[in-house]
Formats: sequence, structure tokens, C-alpha cells
Amino acid sequence: MLDESIQELAAGALQRIAMAGTAEELEAVRVEVLGRKGGALAEISKGMGKLSPDERKRIGAVLNQAKQEIETALDARKATFEAVALAAKLDSEWLDLTVPAPGPRRGHLHPITRIQRELEDLFVSLGFAVLDGPEVEDEYHNFDALNIPADHPARDMQDTFWLSGGNLLRTHTSPVQVRGMERLKLPLRMIAPGRVFRNESVDASHEHTFYQLEGMMIDRNVSVAHLLYFMKTLLTAVFQRDVTVRLRPGYFPFVEPGFELDIQCLICGGPGCPVCKQSGWVELLPCGLVNPHVLRQSGIDPDEFGGFAFGLGLTRLVMMRYSIDDIRQLQGGDLRFLEQF
Amino acid sequence: MKFSYNWIREFVPGLTQAAGPLERLITMKTAECEGIEETGALLGNAQVVLVESVEPIAGSHNVKTQIDAGPLGKRTVVCGAPNCRAGMHAVWTPIGKKVVSGVESDGMLASASELGISRDHAGILEVDTIAGLVPDAAIEIDNKSITHRPDLWGHHGMAREVAAILGLPLTDPAKLELLPEGPAAIQVMIEDYALCPRYSALVFDNVTVGPSPLWLQYRLTSIGLNPINNIVDLTNFLMAELAQPMHAFDADLLHGDTIFVRTAKAGEHFRALNDESYTLDAANLVIADAAGPIALAGVIGGGESAISDKTTRVVLESANFQASSIRKTSAGIKLRTDASMRFEKAQDPLNTVRALARAVELLPLVSPGIRLVGGVADACGPLAAPPVIELSLAWLARKLGRTLASGEVRRILESLAFTVADMDADTFLVTVPSWRATKDVGIKDDLVEEVGRMIGYDSITPEAPLAPVAPPPANPARRMQHDVRNLFVDNGYTEVYNYSFLSEADVRAFGMDPNDHLRVLNPIAEGQELMRSSLLPGIWNNVKENLKYRDSFRIFEIGQEIHPNETGLPSEVPHLIAAVYDRKETGLFELKRMAECLLPGAQTKPAQGREYEHPARAAEIHWRGELVGRLFELHPRMMETGRAAILDVNLARIAELGEAPTKYTPIRRQPSSAFDLSVVMVNRQHAGDVRSAIAEYANPLIESTNYLWEFALPDGKKSVSYRITVGSPERTLPSEEIMAIRADIIAILRELNYELKV
Ligand SMILES: [Zn+2]
Repeated sequence: MLDESIQELAAGALQRIAMAGTAEELEAVRVEVLGRKGGALAEISKGMGKLSPDERKRIGAVLNQAKQEIETALDARKATFEAVALAAKLDSEWLDLTVPAPGPRRGHLHPITRIQRELEDLFVSLGFAVLDGPEVEDEYHNFDALNIPADHPARDMQDTFWLSGGNLLRTHTSPVQVRGMERLKLPLRMIAPGRVFRNESVDASHEHTFYQLEGMMIDRNVSVAHLLYFMKTLLTAVFQRDVTVRLRPGYFPFVEPGFELDIQCLICGGPGCPVCKQSGWVELLPCGLVNPHVLRQSGIDPDEFGGFAFGLGLTRLVMMRYSIDDIRQLQGGDLRFLEQF
Repeated sequence: MKFSYNWIREFVPGLTQAAGPLERLITMKTAECEGIEETGALLGNAQVVLVESVEPIAGSHNVKTQIDAGPLGKRTVVCGAPNCRAGMHAVWTPIGKKVVSGVESDGMLASASELGISRDHAGILEVDTIAGLVPDAAIEIDNKSITHRPDLWGHHGMAREVAAILGLPLTDPAKLELLPEGPAAIQVMIEDYALCPRYSALVFDNVTVGPSPLWLQYRLTSIGLNPINNIVDLTNFLMAELAQPMHAFDADLLHGDTIFVRTAKAGEHFRALNDESYTLDAANLVIADAAGPIALAGVIGGGESAISDKTTRVVLESANFQASSIRKTSAGIKLRTDASMRFEKAQDPLNTVRALARAVELLPLVSPGIRLVGGVADACGPLAAPPVIELSLAWLARKLGRTLASGEVRRILESLAFTVADMDADTFLVTVPSWRATKDVGIKDDLVEEVGRMIGYDSITPEAPLAPVAPPPANPARRMQHDVRNLFVDNGYTEVYNYSFLSEADVRAFGMDPNDHLRVLNPIAEGQELMRSSLLPGIWNNVKENLKYRDSFRIFEIGQEIHPNETGLPSEVPHLIAAVYDRKETGLFELKRMAECLLPGAQTKPAQGREYEHPARAAEIHWRGELVGRLFELHPRMMETGRAAILDVNLARIAELGEAPTKYTPIRRQPSSAFDLSVVMVNRQHAGDVRSAIAEYANPLIESTNYLWEFALPDGKKSVSYRITVGSPERTLPSEEIMAIRADIIAILRELNYELKV
């Protein structure tokens, strides 16, 4: 009789659990059936005191089993509800990841900075120091110490901006050579990238403000062959391919002999095209062995030490690298230009 | 400078290379060629013809002519020249048939200009023969590449290079034996041989002045010179041939029979051939007669003694002047002439009489009947002996980086007219020719170039030097600038470069005084006369330009501020300037964050706005106790639309302060505690002041004070909340101790008249 009641109760509970639509309904079943006070099973166990010990033990087991069945069903059903609730919550957190991320995009380094850094890194890896010199120079460092005295016609080669107070805007980065020889111990290897100025009218291919990279090596027994080696190494790195170079005579008072270095045209590879004016070669940089007058001027004994120097037109290189057609863009501050680099 | 190919070939008779290949050889061995220009191309097929008949063409100013082209037969040619008439001899060029003014014209009757002989295009050339006039090519050499070579400013010098390059013999046009002996018809007095090492002259009479023969006009025209008259043309011809500038005076217009070479008297006037008047001073060297200056030495002749069609007697000057004196005068009066350009390269004093000898040969060809009067007037100071250079072959090989046969070195030097003698097995004694000795070649290094260029630099194999491996000295200032660039680029800023020049208006816009700026004495354009002492005007301009295309952007620049000093070089101070522009929002807090990323622990202290700054939005940036920069919004007056926030940081100052040393402290094992405080303050009180007050309390148990939020209260007040975190590395703080700290802080803040909600 008691068995039947328990089984009936259990069956009823299991059915209600199965039918429960919400966590609250489920909880109601739990309280009604399993509640410690007033729960249906608790009520039944209250009446067990009247039973014989054997019977009590048997009914107790039946009661326990019914309780466990109901609890298991409750837990399972509860887990289902929780899973559904979590799924619904997660679903409500749907994000449109195609919407742009907030905050600024990465900015852009100036193209001259980019190339200049590449070259700085390259030369540092070859053991060259990177030096800075002033943009406003004195006549001594810009001209005299470089074997260009006041009445030298070579001064015409570099139209100079003169400043109040008698100084000038450096016309090349070569004065940093002189400052390097004054400052560094021998032997020395140095480069000096920087801004230079020439009093020239501005158009698509001419600027009064542009960038050069000066380089110098002073050591015992420096030869033209060494200069060629460094220039080839430099240009192979710059153009990221094997380049053919040639030297021809060029006149710069601070070197002797002086050269113009040409590279074989990278566009046509030699046969001639509009870029190289059909010559197959593109003039790239002036260089040479340091003139002994320049060494002596800086207190270096030319019988003991010699060196080479070169001046790379950074601005020109940047224009070649990116095929920039108007030099004025570089200092125009136009984001539509700058954001391309 | 332009060189006539045919002219060069006169001195190098064995020359077979055409102008094109020759140009490339010259470029590789001597000087840079800028191109080749065909000259006199039409002369190739031109011939002299008889104009047999001329008849008008109705409705046209052109005429129809019948010409007799000899073996080619008779042709009909339409001609528009005013001087076209029957019976004349003209030059016909078969350039094909075409209909002109309704008549089929076969070829063309050519003007001297069309033929390339001169610039005369007033009519067709009337001439009996054009024998010897053949097409030529002008090779243009970059003047810069011959700055050091006085000899290459004449064809004979270039011909010597060509002969040396090709191993061909060179002829010499100057025959010194033609110079007349005996006393000169004019005297020369040189005041200072340093300024005028040599002055040579010849006098001619029975001169006829008129147009030059066609061969002479053609030579000058093909190298870009303008034929004037036979005497002047010949002086120009000699200059172009021998690099010796010459000048001809009308002898009858000179006062006295002595030519003085002296410095000008202060204030002395001189009217030149170009009709300009110059006021001279003692820095100018003049050629003078008894009455005054007749030429500005080495630069330009005088107007009063110029050759005219009335001239019958000529004094021909062939002189040598100090290069720097000519250069100074020419620069001083801003007049560069073909003569001054050559003299400033330091010409060879031995060349004066060579040019006179050549004149003696050629003048009778251009002015028939001309007669020499007397011998050569030749005043000459002591001339320096040509330098002799010891050249070690082993040293030479080391410099070039390749081995050399001594015979080859000797051959090269001798082909360039150096004299080579043996000193010992390894050493040559090399004597420099006079025309290379004035400035160009003086030391053994100069000979490296002579040998190197002639053997060809392409014969040298690149070779890595043997050098010790050593890390180069660091450049921390530059490293830091690169790091700053990375920081800003990574945070969305794009780098701009601006010019170093500013206008007076630019600096005034930012409250600066133009007189505090370094001034460019020869600015390239108006508005570029001051050196920037601030990067602000530049970035302001960038903002104004870019807002035309963008609603929002971030830019920065790193550049030098230039501040003049009393003496010596100005101070160049690297600065960072960054700008955030937005049509609506302020970028100040974004830039404040950038300042704090760049300078950890930087403090932003409110500052009085300057006139170009938003008066209520300006602050100073302090770092490690020093003022290092400024943060502000531009005054709305400076912006037509939108807001521009600016951060300006002195990078030199930061570099001086250096990086703070990194110090590690172990992670605290004891838990920290925190409590929040809400402070009521009036709206314009700074939230940062509460933090500063707590910082001043300096209780070592306070780990941090963080601003949480604020909200507005009625009556112009606001409530600002802070979270104070306290803790100790050694122990867990008991709550009484935490409460005591809290009470202290409250007391301090109340002392400062803050209202606290507790
Ligand atoms: Zn090409």
C-alpha cells in the first residue's frame, strides 16, 4: 500500500518534471515532493515509524530510490534549462565583426625617413657611425675645409643660401665629414644623412631643400677598389638586386681622384630607354678618394691615412624607389601623398 | 661648353670615331658630356646654284624662281626671301617637293641661319662657294665637370684628351715662329705681376672691319657663339680654340702708346661694351690708357675703344690674369663672360703668345691686307717653374687597387704631355705641363686620376678592405628620434617634412618677432626669408591644407628649431610637433596620452594660453621636474573650422634628461586595500590638484591615487571620485590603519577647502 503510494508519487513527480516548462515549475516540483518540511516524500517517511523494522528498512530503500530518481530527473532537467538559457544569452551577444574597429589606423613614416633608416641600418651593420651635423654651417666647414676656398669657381656649383651673421645653410652633407674627422678616432667609418639647401628655383625635379647621405672611410691603404666594393654593397642593398656600377671622372674639390658613379639602368638593363636618356646608365652619386688637402686640414697625415668619401642623394633615391614624379610632394605635407608610404 | 667635332678632328687627323662614340669616350675618360647636337645638317646636300629667273606669284609675297643646279639640272623653287633676285648665286638644298603658294617647289633656297652658318635669317645666303662647309656635331660638355681644367675651355685642350684616349697624334695650331721680332709698337706697364702675370699684345694696321668669312661664322655659330665682325669673331675663335681669351682695341681710339694694367681707383667709372656703366674700386683690375680704363681686365672691353666699321688699326690683347681677382670682379659686378669664365679657372701664362702666333696666321684670312706693326709687346712677371712630382708606382697601384705596368703609366702620362723621367726602379719624376700646372695638378694624388681615368676605372676589381671588426659609436639622440617616430606612427600619426624657411607673417601669427630670427640674405622667394625658430607655423599650414580633404587626421614632424646666437653657429634644437585635427572633437586628451607614452610620468600643468592658443585649453608638459613641452588647442581664430590640438616637445631637453634607470622591486605578496573618496569642487577646479595634494602627503603606504569619474552637481559644482590604494610589502594593513590614512587624507583635503561626501 505504501509502496504503491510511493511509486505513484514518484511517477507523478517524474511526469511533472518532464512536463515542466520553466526553472520555476521545476523548483515547485522539487519543493512539493522533496521539500524537507511538508514535502510529499517527507510526509510519507513520517508515517514510517509505525512500521516493523524490517518493513521500515524495505520501504526506506524504496523511498530512497524514488528520491534519487526524482533528484536525477530534476538535475537533468535543470541542466537542460541552463544550457538553453546560456545559449540564448550568448546568442543575444552577437557582434558584427565587419564593423570597423574604433581608434586610429597606423600612421605613415615619411618616405625619406624610411629610406634613410634602411641605409642607416645597413651602414651601422657595416661598422659605420651615424653622425649629425648642423644645418646652419660656417664657411670653414662647408667650403674651406673641403678644399673650396673663397674664390674657387667650384663654389658656383653649389648655389648657397647666406644668412645674417655670416653663416650659411649647408649646401651638402660633406661638412659632417670634417666634423667627423675632428671628433672620431682613426681609423673611422661614418655616414651623415641630413637636410641640405641650394639656392635653386623649385620645379617638379628641383628643390632648394633636399636630403643627402654622406659617407666616409679613413684607414690605412684605402683604394679605389675598396670604394667600389662599398658602393656595390650599398647599392645592391638599396635596390635589393645585383647592380652594375661604373666610375667615370668627376670633379669635386674634396676628393682626388673624383668620380661620378653610374649604375646600369634598372629599367632597361643597359640597351637604353627614356629613363636613362638612352645611355643605359643612370648617374647616381659622386665619390672619390679623400683629397690629401682635406685630410691635412683636419689634422690627418695623408702619408699615413687615406680614405674615400661619397655623397648619396637621398631625395633622388626616394624618387627612384617609389617613382615619385614631383619632388615638391616630399615637403608638401599632403596626406594624400604621405599616406601611400 | 660646346665643342665642334670637326674642329677637334682638325687637331687629331687620325680620328675616325663618329661624334656619338667619341662623346661616350670623353664621358668615361675626361668630362661629362650632356649631349650631341647636329649642326649644319643641311650643308650635306647643299650646293651653290644660279637663280636664273624670278617671277611673282599672285596673292603671295613669295616668288617663283628657276634655278640652275648644274649637273642636277634646272628646278623650280618657291622663295620668300626679300633679297631673292635673278642672277644671284644662292645655296639650294634638296629637301623634297612640296606645294607652296600654289606652286610645286623643289627644295629650298636657304638662309645662313637655316644652313646653321650664322643667325642671319633676313634673306637667303648669297655666296659663290660653300666649299669646306660640311655638317658638324656640337658635343656639349657639362661646365661643372671642367671647372678644374683651364685647358679644356678650348678645342685644342679637348683634342689633346681625344688624342690621348685613342692613342693618336695631336697637331698644334700655334706656330710661335710666326711671331714678329723687333720692338713693339705699344708699351705695356703691369703694376702687379701677381694680379697680371703676363700681358702680350700685337698691333695691326690696314684693317678692314666687316663680316667674317663663312667658315669662321660657321665655327662660332656651331658652338653657340654669335658672329659680330671679322676682328671680334677672330678673337672669339682663338678663345674657343686655345682657351686664351683675347680682346681687340681700336688703336686709334686709345690715348697714348702705353697700356697700363693696374687696379682701379676708388670710384673710377667704366663704360663697357654692353653699354653698362660700372663704378669700380681697388678690388677691380683694369686695362687703362693715359685717359682711363679701356677694359675691365679679363671680364669685358670698354665701349669707347671698341672695334667698329671705321676701325683701321687694332691692338690685340692676349693676357693672363689672376683667377681669384677676375672671379671677384666678375661676381662683384654680376657679369660673367666667356672670358671671365676661362680666367677664373687659372689660365696658362705661356698661352698668351701662342694665341698671338695663331692670330698672325689667321688675321690675313679674315681681314685681307692686314699688316703687322712692330714686334710683340710682352710684359711678363716671373713665371713659376712647372712642378715636378715624385710618383711611386707601388703607391699608385695601392691607391687604385690594381697592378700597373710602368710602361703603361709612362705612356699615359706622356700622352697627356707630362714629362716622365726615372728616379729609381719604382719612382717616376713627372713634370706637369704648364697648362695643367696653374691649379689643376700639383700633387701625386692628382696623377692617380690621370692614370686611373685613362686605364679605365672599369679595370679595377671591387675588393673588401681588411679592417678590424668594431661596433660603431652609438648615436642615442638619433636613436631616440627614430623611437619617437615609431611611437607616433604606431598610434596613427603620419610624418610630414616642412621647409626650414618661414615668412615674417608666419612668425608674427605665432607671436614671434621676425628680428629674433636668423635671416636668409638671398631668399629664393618672398616668404622664405626667415629660418624657423618653431615648427608651429609649418604644422599649422599642414593642418589648414589637409582639412580641405579630411574631417579628422593626425600628423607630426621632427625637425630643427634654429635660434640665432650672439656669435658662432645658431642653436639647432630638435623638436617634435604633433597635431590632431578633428572637425568636432578636441584631440587634447589623445595628445596628452601620447605625451605620457613618450614621457612616462609626465605631468600636464595648466598654463596661461598664448595669443595663438585657445585661452582655456593650454598646458605645460613637465617631465622629471623640467618643462619639456606644451599641449594646447589652436585658438579658434587660427582655424576656419574644426579643432587642432598641438603637442610640442623639446627633444633635445628630453635627450639631456636621459632615460630613467630601470629598477626592479619584487612583486608584493601582501594584499593591498583600496577605498574611494568623492570630492566636491567647483567646476573649474583641477581634478589633478587633489592627486597632487595626496602625493604631497607622501605616506609611503599609499600605492596609488586614481581618478575614477566625475559628475556635475547643481550650483556650478562637481563631484570627483578617486580610488586610493594602500598596502605594505611587509604586512597586511589592519583596517584601523587604513581608516587612519583615509582620515588623514580627508583632513588634508578639508584643510584645502574641499568638500567631501563621507
Ligand atoms: Zn634605361
